[in-house]
Amino acid sequence: MDDQHIYDAQDLQHDEGQLPPENWFDRSETLQKLRKNKKFPTIWCSGCGIGVVMGALIRAIDHLDLDIDKVALVAGIGCTARMPVYMDFNTLHTTHGRALAFATGLKIARPDMKVIAIMGDGDALAIGGNHFIHAARRNLGITALVVNNAIYGMTGGQYSPTTPLGARATTAPYGNVEPPFPICDLAIAAGASYVARSTVYHALELDKFLAEAIAKDGFSVVEAVSYCHTTFGRLNKLGTAADMMRSLKDNSIAKTALDRLTPEEQAASTRIVRGKFVDTERPQYTQVYSNLITRVQEMKNDQKDG
Amino acid sequence: MPVKLMQGNDAISWGAIAAGCRFYAGYPITPSTEVAEILSRELPRLGGKFIQMEDEIASMAAIIGARVGGVKSMTATSGPGFSLMQENIGYAAMTEIPCVVVNVQRLGPSTGQPTAASQGDVMQARWGTHGDHPIIALSPISVRNAFDLTVKAFDFSERYRTPVILLADEIVGHMREPVELPDFKTIRIFEHKVTESPATYKAFRNTPDGVPPLAPFGVGYRYHITGLFHDEVGFPTQRLDEIDPWLERVNTKFDAHLDDILLTASDEQPGAKVAFLSYGASARTARHAMKLARARGTKVDLLTLFTIWPFPEAQVEALGDRVDRIIVPEMNLGQLAYEVERIVGRKKVKRVVRANGEMVTPQMVLDAMEA
Amino acid sequence: MNDVIADPGQPQSTPLPAKKSPRGEVFIYATWCKGCHICVEFCPPRVLAMNADENHPRIVAPEKCTACHFCDTHCPDLAIVVRKLD
Repeated sequence: MDDQHIYDAQDLQHDEGQLPPENWFDRSETLQKLRKNKKFPTIWCSGCGIGVVMGALIRAIDHLDLDIDKVALVAGIGCTARMPVYMDFNTLHTTHGRALAFATGLKIARPDMKVIAIMGDGDALAIGGNHFIHAARRNLGITALVVNNAIYGMTGGQYSPTTPLGARATTAPYGNVEPPFPICDLAIAAGASYVARSTVYHALELDKFLAEAIAKDGFSVVEAVSYCHTTFGRLNKLGTAADMMRSLKDNSIAKTALDRLTPEEQAASTRIVRGKFVDTERPQYTQVYSNLITRVQEMKNDQKDG
Repeated sequence: MPVKLMQGNDAISWGAIAAGCRFYAGYPITPSTEVAEILSRELPRLGGKFIQMEDEIASMAAIIGARVGGVKSMTATSGPGFSLMQENIGYAAMTEIPCVVVNVQRLGPSTGQPTAASQGDVMQARWGTHGDHPIIALSPISVRNAFDLTVKAFDFSERYRTPVILLADEIVGHMREPVELPDFKTIRIFEHKVTESPATYKAFRNTPDGVPPLAPFGVGYRYHITGLFHDEVGFPTQRLDEIDPWLERVNTKFDAHLDDILLTASDEQPGAKVAFLSYGASARTARHAMKLARARGTKVDLLTLFTIWPFPEAQVEALGDRVDRIIVPEMNLGQLAYEVERIVGRKKVKRVVRANGEMVTPQMVLDAMEA
Repeated sequence: MNDVIADPGQPQSTPLPAKKSPRGEVFIYATWCKGCHICVEFCPPRVLAMNADENHPRIVAPEKCTACHFCDTHCPDLAIVVRKLD
């Protein structure tokens, strides 16, 4: 045991988190973006992929060298939505499914801010589905980070719009009879200007896509495929967190690799496809509205007040 | 300003603009749609922003998001939309984010009759969202009053860090009256000023006056806002020693300011033994009935409520001490009368109700008085 | 594995190369660690192993760390950090 390299609290209370030693946050750039006054460890289960996504998000924001005062994280409800409180930005934890609606108001009021909506699959696509498609349609300058673990984890493991057909969940004890949504296809059809998918195994790729998405001026969607070993994994006998992490590696394929297969092989593939699917330029909502204001104010100057 | 003929909905729109509202998000619904249409035209002229959201739930969320960013905001709707907004109204109450929600009440329940009036959302305004929370609701009786109460709504929402419901109705919303609006430059709304440094700032500090200063996002105060029960800093908590002080502060934060919040008008005749008590469109019925009664020699007191919630208990109790009977006309089955009965006792209260879209008539009030 | 094998008939004119020094230094904040094993299972040179009561990893082979950063980019609790050594 190397004493100098392992920090351990001796008198930790059962329900208390612990602030690390003073220089812990200096250990890496990533850690400096965490809130210094928030109690850790995080609320997530041991091994949960959401923590990995949080690390990727912080690295992405670091790479872009964003002004932290101008970054706003807006979350819905669920395990994924518990992410923002740990990070040292402007953080807004809202109601289930409504992160994008709150984010819309914030972005329109403050086009100077970088607004990132953080949602789970159920939050974004079930109750939040309507707001998802309209935010994409408007091409608002918001980044939608959707962590897809194909389950409602916080409430104990009910099926979600992305749960695979036939999988077990607490509200699908005989197997899920509903086909899942493809999040990225939906985002593309609704008009998002940047759509990408990666997994928590491919954390560095995720971090790269997040950086591109956040830098994009337009509606950008990053689907971060994760796993919930505590509910979905247990109900479907998929092993430990490390096992499910390994599955993400084994059961995914890069889009570039998929494109090299024959059409028959592509159709037969059940792997998760990782990659950037769309990266286009479309007029961004707050800029369009700003142009409208300019036009209207010029009209007013030409007209007598009515 | 010149005298203009305008609708109640126009006056509400201008009141919002005068109060500094520069963000509107809403969804069309009869009989409130004019507010959206007017603000879609006027806000961009002032550099403000209008958006028609995909539904009322999103509208309510967007106005809270805008105020978090520091821009005063409003939405307008009617019964069915008001029902949809309840969850997020509760969010604004829990997070103490100022905003104004206009409900131009129409006949319900359900789709009801979109072009008919009612006062059927009185209880929903108070308790529509789940959990114990305070709320302010104001009801205008005329077009000019709609302007004034909209301005007041913004002031109260900022001053007390609360959502405020402007509980209008289809009659006041769609009626046209000549009004002379005040010069907007004379309108003053409470402004939050945060002087503390970000290092010590607590957005939910349990201050003695009950209302901690609110910093917007994006100017250096990087704090957390959540609908979960939270500590003074804003982080979620399950500790009773953090939840109890919040409950105490937030549920009593209006109590020291009732002189400011409870807007009423009393027209007393010494020796009167009967009173008419009303609000919104029905206040016009009550006022007309009062004039008729007095012309015939009956002494009548008239109490008009502009603030519906918090309910003006002291004023109503004092009225109950002066008179033997209080007659309450309203366009619902007695939602406000229920409160009056609670304060002065059921025996003293006579409900004169109509919930079919038609106004209570002055004759109905006089008949109740004679009975 | 790049040992130079001297010609047996000649005296050694060059010394054997030194063992590769570690390329990264690992730090663990045990109080944040929830013992999920991901870092242990995925570390390619097997620098880490879980300790006896499985609470958090031990650094059993610090000299083998190549600073690949798999552990610190995949730790759900940000409880492990690797500093690249010069």
